[in-house]
Amino acid sequence: MTARRAGAALVAIALTGGVAWLSRAPMDFGADDPIVRLSWRVAGVPVEACRTRTDEELATLPVHMRSPRECTRALAPFALDVAVDGRPVVRDTLFPKGMRGDRPVQVLRDLSAEAGVVALSVRFEAVLAEDAEPPGGIPTGYAWSGEINLASGDVALLTLDGAGEHLVMRRQQAP
Amino acid sequence: MAASGSRAAGGVGLRALARLDAAFNALYTWRFNPLYHSGALVVACFGVLLATGAYLLLFYRIGAPHESVAAIDAQWWGGRWIRGMHRYASALAVVAAVLHGFRMFAQRRTWGPRALAWVSGGVLLGILFVCGWTGYVMAWDVHGQVLAAEGARILDALPVFSEPLGRAFTGEAPLPDAFFFMNLFAHIAAPVGIALFLWVHVSRLARVQLLPPKRLLWGAVGCLAIAAVAWPPPLGSKADLLKLPSVVPADWVYGFWLPATRTMAAGWVWVAGGSIVAAALLVPFLTKPRAEKAPSPSWVNPRHCTGCEQCFQDCPYEAISMVERDDGRDGLVGWVDTAKCVSCGVCAGSCAPMGVGPDGRTGRDQLARTQEFLAEARPGPSDVVIVGCMHGAAGSVGALEPLGPLGPAGVDGPAGSAASAAVPEARIFPVGCVGSLHTSVIEYLVRAGAGGVLVATCPPRDCRSREGVKWFDERVHNGREAELQERVDRRRIDVVYAGAGEARVLRDRVARFWSSVRAMDAARAERQFEVGAECEAEGAAS
Repeated sequence: MTARRAGAALVAIALTGGVAWLSRAPMDFGADDPIVRLSWRVAGVPVEACRTRTDEELATLPVHMRSPRECTRALAPFALDVAVDGRPVVRDTLFPKGMRGDRPVQVLRDLSAEAGVVALSVRFEAVLAEDAEPPGGIPTGYAWSGEINLASGDVALLTLDGAGEHLVMRRQQAP
Repeated sequence: MAASGSRAAGGVGLRALARLDAAFNALYTWRFNPLYHSGALVVACFGVLLATGAYLLLFYRIGAPHESVAAIDAQWWGGRWIRGMHRYASALAVVAAVLHGFRMFAQRRTWGPRALAWVSGGVLLGILFVCGWTGYVMAWDVHGQVLAAEGARILDALPVFSEPLGRAFTGEAPLPDAFFFMNLFAHIAAPVGIALFLWVHVSRLARVQLLPPKRLLWGAVGCLAIAAVAWPPPLGSKADLLKLPSVVPADWVYGFWLPATRTMAAGWVWVAGGSIVAAALLVPFLTKPRAEKAPSPSWVNPRHCTGCEQCFQDCPYEAISMVERDDGRDGLVGWVDTAKCVSCGVCAGSCAPMGVGPDGRTGRDQLARTQEFLAEARPGPSDVVIVGCMHGAAGSVGALEPLGPLGPAGVDGPAGSAASAAVPEARIFPVGCVGSLHTSVIEYLVRAGAGGVLVATCPPRDCRSREGVKWFDERVHNGREAELQERVDRRRIDVVYAGAGEARVLRDRVARFWSSVRAMDAARAERQFEVGAECEAEGAAS
């Protein structure tokens, strides 16, 4: 084998090794701090607003559409308040998704926290007009508060329980 | 401004490329230089990916993705290194594709009719990324988890999903099998897209060589196999959505952007990604020369065209077709589709009666220029004329490496130096590509009394006109139409392949050739001859 061929083989192996290294080199995703993840969805609280049509308005409508009351239905927005160790970190109003605002309200937030024991307080309540009467059986507010012990790289997931009635905290199962 | 920036970047890139090419030519020779075959290497990697992927698919289970990949990894006799080859080939494919794109950009082979190949190449690279992305998610280790979650976060910035995709990766519920089924489907469907766009990518090329030469092909496959056996890729720990990833083995080729995007808002990721895609799409416009500088496409002079079809056969871009004549003569006449013509001029070198070529570069134009050159340079019986492709070493004389006594248009070397005493003047007759060189130019130079004609070309695998050097060799050595006539003394002609970074190769060859020319009898200049008329007569006769 000539020196050139040996060199060519060595360079080929070195280059392949370089590509292989690029394909497996460690990447640091910097998961030093734990996070509190808020993730849930609620179908929303339908709110109906009605008014009585005037005689003039009724006269302009086709005969078969002359309903004396005009009602619009919409989903109420929700207010999200999160406090960590008594300090407010999120105060936001979340609106139903969709072009017409008729899709569920989605909550998906990652809040960075410091390792150790953290006092977390979460309130999630429908924003309703004073005279609004939401239909019965639909929860209009959720809350969770408590202390959680977070280690580096932990994800503390706050989500709804299976019935969709209460917020629950989920953590990684101990191995 | 943007166009001049693009030109400057291309110039710097071209010089870097020339040096790299020269170094690799010294190791692998131009025949097997992997840099010249970067595009074909991508296709070779694609073949490896298909073969190894088919094997892996036999053992992959969407119901237990990580466990099944771990089981494949446990097959020390097969699965482990086949998975390694699959992974390393996917990384090599991207590296080779980026190198291929960089070469095309630096060599300004991106505008006009080549814009289709540039854009489709970008799409191919994008599909390759999607394929790799879904491949890593398939394994569902921590790296796959990061890619999936980050991809979902970025997609959620688009106002099209009423249900955020990211909620699938919050840990609320185990990922459904349907997710892995769809991911597998995308991973398998992407190669179909690659095949489709590969067809588009090469659709304007004649005689496409999809694979590299066998020695390089099997060498590359062997290197991948050695790396896979000696250094099998690790499988990260199983994805855990309720644990943040820290330091994990990752693929930087497919995930190089992760460290940057994870700290950016998803909207800005779209802005950054969109800007890169827009810049890539603008390259054909930015690299396009101004109208007054743009080389004109070829055209056929029907008066001289004999309908021999040689230009139709030689055109590397399938830009020439043969159509019925409309001038009352029988037979066919060549017709150039200007939308496909890249103005390489190969047709000018293929036409014995000199009836086709770009404006100012037809065989007749070349002969006129030769006449002017001879009147000015007056090469003597012991002089060597270098007919040099300006993209190769002859075009870079003095730019990359001092050539001693050589220089454009007979610039002398250092006075009194040993080199100038050993090698007299060599004058350069520049051509855009030797594929466009009409052999009558060589005949003219020799018959006019030049001691020797050294044709300095780019290495055939790096010809800007794809097949220019191949056809030139055929015309000089194998009698291909528009051939160098038998009457020309072959001892006075030599050909050297020297890329832009190989001025030393050119210089050494000139010195050797000049020595052999000096050892011959002095060349005798013919007093009365008319090469153009002779060629025309011979072309008409044939």
